[in-house]
Amino acid sequence: MSASAEAVAPELGFFCVGLNHETSPLEVRDALVLSDEEVARAIRAIRERAGASEALVISTCNRTEVYARGAELPTSFVAALLQEIKGLDLLGSGKSYLYTYREPESIRHLFRVACGLDSQILGEPQITGQVKDSLTLAAKLGGSGPVMERLLDAALRSSKRARTETGIGRGPVSSAYAAVNLATKVLGSLADKKVLLIGAGEMAGLAACHFMEAGVAQFMVANRSRERAEKLGAAIAGRAISLEAVPVALPGADIVVSATSSNEPIVRESMVRNAMKIRKNRPLLFLDLAVPRDVDPQVAKLPNVFVHDLDALAQLVAQSLAQRRAEVPKVEAIIETEMTRFLKWHRSLAVKPTVTAFRTHFEEIAKEELDRHRGRFRPEDHAALEALVHGIVQKLLHRPTTRLSRADDESEGIARVDAVRELFGIDQEESDADRDAR
Amino acid sequence: MQPLIPLLTTTLPVLYALSVAAYGRAYADETSTGGRFGPVVLRLAVLFHVLYLSARGVTEGHLPLASAYDFLSATALSLAAVYTYLELRQGVRTTGIFVLPLVFLMQVISSAYGNTVPASQPPLFPFWFELHTMTAVLGYGAFFVSAIYGVLFLLLYREIKANRLSFFFRRMPPLETLGRMNVSAASAGLVLLGLAILMGVGWARMANVALAKDPKTWLTVGAWCLLGFAVLAYHRLGWRGPRAVYASLAGFTTLLLSRVVTDLFVRSFHTWR
Repeated sequence: MSASAEAVAPELGFFCVGLNHETSPLEVRDALVLSDEEVARAIRAIRERAGASEALVISTCNRTEVYARGAELPTSFVAALLQEIKGLDLLGSGKSYLYTYREPESIRHLFRVACGLDSQILGEPQITGQVKDSLTLAAKLGGSGPVMERLLDAALRSSKRARTETGIGRGPVSSAYAAVNLATKVLGSLADKKVLLIGAGEMAGLAACHFMEAGVAQFMVANRSRERAEKLGAAIAGRAISLEAVPVALPGADIVVSATSSNEPIVRESMVRNAMKIRKNRPLLFLDLAVPRDVDPQVAKLPNVFVHDLDALAQLVAQSLAQRRAEVPKVEAIIETEMTRFLKWHRSLAVKPTVTAFRTHFEEIAKEELDRHRGRFRPEDHAALEALVHGIVQKLLHRPTTRLSRADDESEGIARVDAVRELFGIDQEESDADRDAR
Repeated sequence: MQPLIPLLTTTLPVLYALSVAAYGRAYADETSTGGRFGPVVLRLAVLFHVLYLSARGVTEGHLPLASAYDFLSATALSLAAVYTYLELRQGVRTTGIFVLPLVFLMQVISSAYGNTVPASQPPLFPFWFELHTMTAVLGYGAFFVSAIYGVLFLLLYREIKANRLSFFFRRMPPLETLGRMNVSAASAGLVLLGLAILMGVGWARMANVALAKDPKTWLTVGAWCLLGFAVLAYHRLGWRGPRAVYASLAGFTTLLLSRVVTDLFVRSFHTWR
């Protein structure tokens, strides 16, 4: 591409340098999570010291990425900046944690991040909010401009489309969430259901959180240590009971989540049989998250009693992940469409000034010629003459300007813009108004 | 309205075929447009179907239930209408593929072999008897849908119990919703068949027909009682799970049996000729 073509079809000059869960261990990622103040420092440094016109920082527990427009960011610069802010020497260890993307890969990478394709858990939805927050922060700090904002809008639109038009975010991808999913599949709405937690450890707590998010409001916590049961009970607004009270509590529960470290089954068949009589055979779901299992396998043989262990939940998680992986090509197609749309918009920024300059060029020639020959006509004919010349110029320019305006749509469009500039000697420098339009 | 009839005779199977394709796609892929397109086409088909039967009724001067093909078409409408009602109430679109192929098949047969150019004919039976037949047919349709949901419930129940969490498991609504759909359709059938029985008894008294010797009447009343018990057990006794579904399926089987017995083994005024 010639120098003038580069001038009319400028690259975005969009770069990305960062690290994520694939290139760095957890301790490095943890150490590099930036607070809002630290993001502000980074954005200032990228603009002032690296000369970028726009900058954005995305910092989550799984990634820290720096995006800049208008200046290339050397890896060494970003490593030094992160060391300055967080005190962690990324280059000293001899390991290469940082990756760099140049255009168009940098744009594609941003879109992939926003859609959850680059996440540790494929298709996880939190990243969309995190990208949105990063943009809000950059805008507040004056780091992002119209091009970066438009780019982020396009990335977020891809993410929204990916979630509504594909199955990239569907299905449970953790055992605790799979437990909720299974409960919903058996019992429908969980809003009026009661959950009995047997055990008060981390797994039981995590499951309780997911059930709360699904709308469950009534919990009972049974644990060998009453103190721990009360602690978890207080956190989830549940009632603490002793482990011996489980047979009494069972008829009132709809879902039983068991996650103890007991070597013997805690829930026996006779216990459940009695409970089912009292609850008039209404469905009862056991989610046995313990190894070895807390629920006697014989319980599963009772009618309307459903028992699922970690293997069943793992099966659900594996199915969801496989399903999400199968959706990746659809998301990638959405990304390509939205990228093309954005790049077309960006190219149109280069076309507009040329069209304006092209028209001005001809109108100026017409005006000069009119002024030169004005004396040869009667004053009362001047208006008609001006209208005639203006009409001729407009008719001559109509087709070329229409074709030029569509240049961003066509593959040879930029070359055509370049040819027009060269043929008619249109000035390379853009007016202030043109720059504002960009 | 007569000119509309041949056009609707052809249009109905096409619309049902389109809805089968759309619901099939919605079942295979949740994110496909089938989930949005299917209900629109189906509602249009139901509307046209009502228009078709009304046009037939106006043209012929009596309710269009003169042949087995008419019976098939009315049953198809009943199935489609009850399914649409359940879909609207429960917001579940992935089960349409288990109901609508039957609707399509019934309407194709009716459209292909039925009387496409009907003319005005004197009614064979008084209006009340015709209305009795029509409500009974609609009731059968509702019980048919109920039975389909009953079978789907049992299949899903077994999958979940056995920890076989297949594609079917992922596509089906919650077990509790399937149970509710089974009972809702049975409730609609109960009301319609109840009305049909009342109208039939009223007509028999006026026409001096001895119902006591008619096995279909007894079997139908028996089936109605069984289905009534299943619905009552769900609402009043809190029955959930396979037991409630088996009760409603027993009622539906008895209903089918009454039809088979009447048509194949005995001769009565209920036999289709």
